Amino acid sequence: MLAYIARRLALAVGTVLAAIVITFLLVHAGNTTPGAVRLGPGATADRIAAENEALGWNRPLFTQFTDYVGQLLQGNLGTSLIDGRDIAADLTDRLPVTASIALFATLLSGVVGILLGVAAAVRGGRTAQGITTGSGVALSLPSFWVGILLVYLLSLQLGWLPATGYTEFSTDPVGWATSLAIPVLTLAVGGAAIVTRTAAAGMREALAQEHVRTLRAMGTPQWRIRYVHALRYASVPVVSVLGIQFIVLFGGSVIIENLFALPGLGQASQVAAVSSDFPALIGVVVVATVVVVITNLLLDLLVAALDPKVRTA
Amino acid sequence: MTAPAGTAPVAATTTPALEIRDLVVRYGSGRKARQAPPAIDRVSFSIAPGETVGLVGESGSGKSTIGKAVLGLQPPTSGTVRLHGQDITSMSLKQRSRQVADLRVVFQDPYSSLNPARTIGQTLVEPLRLMGTRGPEALHKARAGLESVGLPGDAVDRYPSQFSGGQRQRIAIARALVCDPEVVVLDEPVSALDLSTQAQVLNLLADLRDQRGLAFLFIAHDLGVVRFLSQRTVVLYRGQVMETGPVEAVSQAPRHPYTVALTAAAPVPRPAEQRARRTAREAAGFGTAGAALPSATGCPFVPRCPLATEVCVTERPPLRLVEGTEAACHHAERVPAL
Amino acid sequence: MSVLPLDAADEVATEPVPPARRRGLPAFLRRPGGIFGATWLTFVIVASLTAPLWRPYEPAEQDTANALALPSAEHWLGTDPLGRDLLSRIFTAGSLPLLSSALMLVVAFGIGLPLALIAAERGRRVEQVISRLTEVLIALPATILLLAVIGVIGNRLYPVMAILGVMISASVYRVLLGVAQSVRQRLYIDAARVNGLGSLRVNLVHVLPSMATVVAVQAAQLFGIGLLIVAGLAFLGFGPGEPEPSWGFMIQDASGYIYTAPWLMVPTGLVLALTVVAANELADAIAGKVAVAGRAGRRRRRGPLRRAVAAAAAGTAEAPDPAAVLQVRDLSVSVDDGPDLVTGVSFALQPGRVLGLVGESGCGKTMTARSLLGLLPDGVSVSGGSILWRGRELVGLSEREMSALRGREIAMISQEPMVALDPMFSISSQLTGPIRRFRGVGRSEARKIAAELLRNVGIVDAERVLKSHPHQLSGGMAQRVCIALALTGEPDLLVADEPTTALDVTVQAEILSLLRALVRDTGLSVVVVSHDLGVVADICDDVAVMYAGQVVESGTAEAVLDAPAHPYTMALLGANPHVPEGEPVPERLASIAGTVPPPGSWPTGCRFASRCRFAQERCTVPFPELPAHGAGSVLCIRVDELSRDHAVWEPEHAGDEIATPLAPPAPVAGVSR
Repeated sequence: MLAYIARRLALAVGTVLAAIVITFLLVHAGNTTPGAVRLGPGATADRIAAENEALGWNRPLFTQFTDYVGQLLQGNLGTSLIDGRDIAADLTDRLPVTASIALFATLLSGVVGILLGVAAAVRGGRTAQGITTGSGVALSLPSFWVGILLVYLLSLQLGWLPATGYTEFSTDPVGWATSLAIPVLTLAVGGAAIVTRTAAAGMREALAQEHVRTLRAMGTPQWRIRYVHALRYASVPVVSVLGIQFIVLFGGSVIIENLFALPGLGQASQVAAVSSDFPALIGVVVVATVVVVITNLLLDLLVAALDPKVRTA
Repeated sequence: MTAPAGTAPVAATTTPALEIRDLVVRYGSGRKARQAPPAIDRVSFSIAPGETVGLVGESGSGKSTIGKAVLGLQPPTSGTVRLHGQDITSMSLKQRSRQVADLRVVFQDPYSSLNPARTIGQTLVEPLRLMGTRGPEALHKARAGLESVGLPGDAVDRYPSQFSGGQRQRIAIARALVCDPEVVVLDEPVSALDLSTQAQVLNLLADLRDQRGLAFLFIAHDLGVVRFLSQRTVVLYRGQVMETGPVEAVSQAPRHPYTVALTAAAPVPRPAEQRARRTAREAAGFGTAGAALPSATGCPFVPRCPLATEVCVTERPPLRLVEGTEAACHHAERVPAL
Repeated sequence: MSVLPLDAADEVATEPVPPARRRGLPAFLRRPGGIFGATWLTFVIVASLTAPLWRPYEPAEQDTANALALPSAEHWLGTDPLGRDLLSRIFTAGSLPLLSSALMLVVAFGIGLPLALIAAERGRRVEQVISRLTEVLIALPATILLLAVIGVIGNRLYPVMAILGVMISASVYRVLLGVAQSVRQRLYIDAARVNGLGSLRVNLVHVLPSMATVVAVQAAQLFGIGLLIVAGLAFLGFGPGEPEPSWGFMIQDASGYIYTAPWLMVPTGLVLALTVVAANELADAIAGKVAVAGRAGRRRRRGPLRRAVAAAAAGTAEAPDPAAVLQVRDLSVSVDDGPDLVTGVSFALQPGRVLGLVGESGCGKTMTARSLLGLLPDGVSVSGGSILWRGRELVGLSEREMSALRGREIAMISQEPMVALDPMFSISSQLTGPIRRFRGVGRSEARKIAAELLRNVGIVDAERVLKSHPHQLSGGMAQRVCIALALTGEPDLLVADEPTTALDVTVQAEILSLLRALVRDTGLSVVVVSHDLGVVADICDDVAVMYAGQVVESGTAEAVLDAPAHPYTMALLGANPHVPEGEPVPERLASIAGTVPPPGSWPTGCRFASRCRFAQERCTVPFPELPAHGAGSVLCIRVDELSRDHAVWEPEHAGDEIATPLAPPAPVAGVSR
């Protein structure tokens, strides 16, 4: 088990390094230079060259990389080429926004998805057909379109929730919650559909297992077979898919943050991409990768806790 | 081992059809794998042309691994496999098909051994085409092959799903024999079949062997089945040869405690006789399977053996000739009669 | 090697075995979702690619007088804020997402599929290296990395989607690796390799075709995801710039007019959503998912009917045997709206005795045994007859009433001990649960009883076993635990379905000894299902031989096995290679031509007649009742003649095997492996 954790940790560190290497190579492969970005259009080639020299752009790539990692270990992600703000500080402010949207959307998808999935597997027949078709449609809808529809419905027609904008938790907790409600709902539509499908398939598989017949042959009550034994069996794929959902929703927040004008990581990455703000781009990739890697680690531990075969291997 | 003149006279005078010497197979790599006991531990035996040797053992004995090593599906860690005296140990499967076309196989599971998406004809023509027989001639041979295993030639146009388990196993036999091999590895060919079908296939195998002078390496877990088809038998336990010799001697007067345990455990369909056998077996005092791991240096059967002594734990017994069979047991002389 | 499950044919297949190639439409095009998906995708692709040929307006053509119009005769889908025709713009915009998603697919599969094939073929070390690399790739945040790519190379969709294809290839690899590995384990791959087929051809001819379905499902799903990503990028402004139309930007545009012109977002959103839904529906249809969902669950309730049938049977049959603890009379089991699986089975079991149901696969012995506990598979039920358990009629009892009986009065052990225990729970919790329920004791007391039960079934280190999980046990150990579990409710009847088939012969002997000791010590009655006559001879007092859903011969084990009267019993014994002590091995074994007819195609008259060496014309005519024979029963009208003539089922002569006629192809539906 310890060896297992050590292996996963090594892979996690490797993944973060790989993300930095890939973005470094990407940035250097393009024909835009940071000097040109900082000085903007109209700058002469000489000034750009001087600026690049000053930024250390012409040093060997490996030196730049080790420097970057060294700074990263001290929590320094550099400054923006556009407005000179401190990237680490900026991303620290933005991370909670994105993380809370993704987390609440994952939790909501989990609750709704598990209920619907279990219902589909246990009830069968028409219920299952309806849930399967419904989840098939729900997971195909583009999130930005769903978001606009929800705004139209919940905000414009019913007036229950604000359409866009973000309120700080510290200033107004209720306003904070309502400002996140539509984004979370939007992300949860697709998320719940995927969890539903996984839960339904997992429960169906669990109920078809040979050991369920043993349980029935022992006169075990129906509810116990379903909600203790089968649900436990199905919990491994469901938990895995919830972890993946968190990662997907975390990444998918780019569009949602754009749509609802939320100051999160996704918005930062979009702005950085539009303006070719290289340090900001690398910074966002690093922070996002770290979040993904930590989620994966927690997920591995959770699956090991759930599945005795993994735990005792 | 080189078969002594007393046990298998044929083997001593002619080149064996198949000869396996000091075969060792380890699975995996790295420190852990090197420390674990090998799946196959110094196994040697040979098969004369036209002879059937039965390889008997329970799950984990390594009998199927030996079959795979012979076929080239599992590279051995050390040791040699010779076909008609030619060393084929490290020959790739492709080279084998060109140079030594006469080693083929029939597998246990007739359901997964035929590709469900291909007709019987396509399945049978595949080996022929690789041997250079093509077109109408190959199809003709395929039909003839089906007829030789008791199926009509027009089965070539059908798919495996249209056949029962026994029929599929006939098709698998036809595929193995269609390019006239001399040595066939039969990996539990009847274990998945029902009793009456099993008898059909065993009879068919016996007929084909007698007609064509085939040499069989017959892998099975049931001594009764092995006794029906084989002339000699090799009893395996945890990757090592426990006993080997003419099948009648090994099954009627075994000289190794494990062979005794294996023979005594097989139930016979005659209540009175079975009652007597059961009483005898329970009195013999064999240990429970899997209760304890054997020592790495000694005999692997020690934890279950009623005759085991100090020497059995420390020293691995070599195969030696005892009353008509070769047994790897320090106490072979003291093994009680069945 | 453990033996394959021999009685698998007793299971009613949940899905018919598909013939390899069917003429006409592929299966997925016969499902509504598949029809919709294929039709809509074809329509969108054709309409988009040919849009320049048929569109009523140029995509940039403005009709400012008609801005933000609702659908009308001139503008079928309405117009945008600049009065441009939505229909023309939507389908002009379609080809870019469709083609760039296709490019992404080609790249993803072009990398993922070969890698999966190589990793599956080259063994563990290569697979480990490739898998670690792809794990890193999967863990990278794809969307944000994609934005980084755009930040560097600019707003060029095809290269961006190709790079996305590289990232997605890791997921494709992961899914396909599992499939490729399982395909490579099939023996026909090994057979082809032994034949000398080269690596490339093995992959092309044998591995790839078997992966086709999964590849198609994955491709359809990924195509939908690709469309969503392209539209999402365009929504963020990373698409073709104005005035070029794009789906994502048209929705972005519409979101600004949601107060004044909500219709604007409907046409574009709907076309995009429908296209992705179509791709996913197509994937589901190819995978055959919807059909499974529709069939899940739904047990038929036939209580009143069963009761009526049981009452009728009880009225006609002879008086119950007062000494018998279990009496089965005229039992029939059928597939609902389908063929009979078991008909007219009768037997009686005295307390403390062991009855064996013996026969080949597909003869109905497992179905008979399972009906004793009311544990028939979905879609199969008792269709007639009576099961009297200690004077109580079990046929027609509700699930609740049966459930109260299970474990307490009748318990079961099954064929595959390794999968009969719940892999997620410790042995301790699996044993103490029922102990507490059956015996009303506390947790610590239950654990004490559990340890004692384990010792009673011959497990020495009970404490260690209690702490383990099922996957840590050997097959023999697991079967002992299963027996202990069955004993937790102190039942009076144990139904053992092929209890030793999956075990090694020396382990089998130990388990049989254990069962025998339990019967001796506790007075348990046992019904054993087995295909192995040796097992039956070892453990059974009474035997019922089953063939094609009927009991063809029954009696004491000695009577049936030592002096078989029915030709089928004779033939089975003749086919057994275990000859008596001291006798030479026969040159040939007795065998029965052909195979057991599947349910639904049983012949009239004697069901064994077509394979019987002693059959005459009259055997194929229905006969009313079974003649009595000794203490048991024999379902053969010629039984007296045969025993008078000392008939023996001799082996055929050498070479006869080769003349075996080909049985008709097995039916596709109904009962099959």
